[in-house]
Amino acid sequence: MENFESTISEILEVESIELNDYLESFDAWDSLTILSIIAFCDSEYKVTLSADEINKSETINGLKELVKSKM
Amino acid sequence: MNLQFNNKKITGILTVLPEKEIKFEDEIDNYSFSSSQSMKLKLIMGYNKRRVVKENTTTSDLCIFGLNYLFEKKLLNKDEIDGLVLVTQSPDHFMPPTSHIIHGILNLKQDMVCMDINQGCSGYVIGLNQAFMLLEQEEINKVVLLNADTLSKKVSKNDRNNNPQIGDGAAITIVEKDISNSPIFSSVKVDGSGSDVLIIPAGGFKMPSSQETSILKKDESGNLRSLNHLVMQGDNVFNFVQREVPPMVEKLLESAAVTDNDIDYYMFHQPNKFMLKKLASKMGCSEEKMPNNIVENFGNSSGATIPMTITFNLGNKLLKESFFVCMAGFGVGLSWASLLIKLENLTFCEMIDFK
Repeated sequence: MENFESTISEILEVESIELNDYLESFDAWDSLTILSIIAFCDSEYKVTLSADEINKSETINGLKELVKSKM
Repeated sequence: MNLQFNNKKITGILTVLPEKEIKFEDEIDNYSFSSSQSMKLKLIMGYNKRRVVKENTTTSDLCIFGLNYLFEKKLLNKDEIDGLVLVTQSPDHFMPPTSHIIHGILNLKQDMVCMDINQGCSGYVIGLNQAFMLLEQEEINKVVLLNADTLSKKVSKNDRNNNPQIGDGAAITIVEKDISNSPIFSSVKVDGSGSDVLIIPAGGFKMPSSQETSILKKDESGNLRSLNHLVMQGDNVFNFVQREVPPMVEKLLESAAVTDNDIDYYMFHQPNKFMLKKLASKMGCSEEKMPNNIVENFGNSSGATIPMTITFNLGNKLLKESFFVCMAGFGVGLSWASLLIKLENLTFCEMIDFK
């Protein structure tokens, strides 16, 4: 998962992210961003996520763990 | 489930665009998005302009306009219609069937099969399959398939999940017997456990429209909607399409013993550009083979988007040239279906404006 953080920060339109950043704290956090994450995880890791699961994962690290748990 | 048909062909396709054009930019203020978020939405989803009906225009109006055009141009003879199949989720009334209203106004013959089918985004393939089945009968030689919807009337103007993409429209496809054509392969699938993923909750017999069902409520993403409006679980629909459609198409090609190289075009239902691009990349086919320009020009008109894609992108070419086409529709139901067919020597293949 080496490009996970770099792609997620690209989707969130920021230069860098920290694992303990809260997803909702980003200006770009909206339904479209969530859909972009769903599409990225589907094509990159063959993992299916729902919007609800992503929202409940709360932080960047939570999101990463969620993806890992499904790989 | 795999289906196969022999000795049938499509001989003409006409699509009817409704009268009103709406630009995405003109409705940005309706949404609880900042204007930069809305522009991102436009860019990623490929939203631009869309066509919708005026308040008083109905599904039957669009169909009758198109059929009269064909009668006047002598592209279709009234007396030769042995079957009229209308696929719609926006009927003029609950009863009678809208196909019968069309039959009556156009004064068609009594000796025919006439029916409505309640299907949405997969409705073009479902309708074609029904037309092919009718043509198995000795007395049925020509079936007119109508795909028409005016669902824009059921979408909240303040719902950025649905409003920027919804379009109305109609398609008329002529299906006939044929002795020389190659076999047609189809695949149909259903998952009724997802019947609430795309739904208009109120207005039917279970929950009639009332003052209460027309109260606008805000969802967690800030969209305003009432129970009379269409509601979609966007992420579920996206995941369903990406999960189910590529393997269905792969198996369909296998069952017909053809490969991606044999396919000239993937004419798929178009909910938005994003979905189509992701499908193309997942299926490993080039984006040129899968046109995705219908939503940006006309909006998502449910079962009519596949014929719109054909008339808009190929048009008159189909009168002379031959293309091997893979179609796929997917959505409400949940329902997904695909079809492999050779399109060639059509009598007509065009788009007209409803007036």
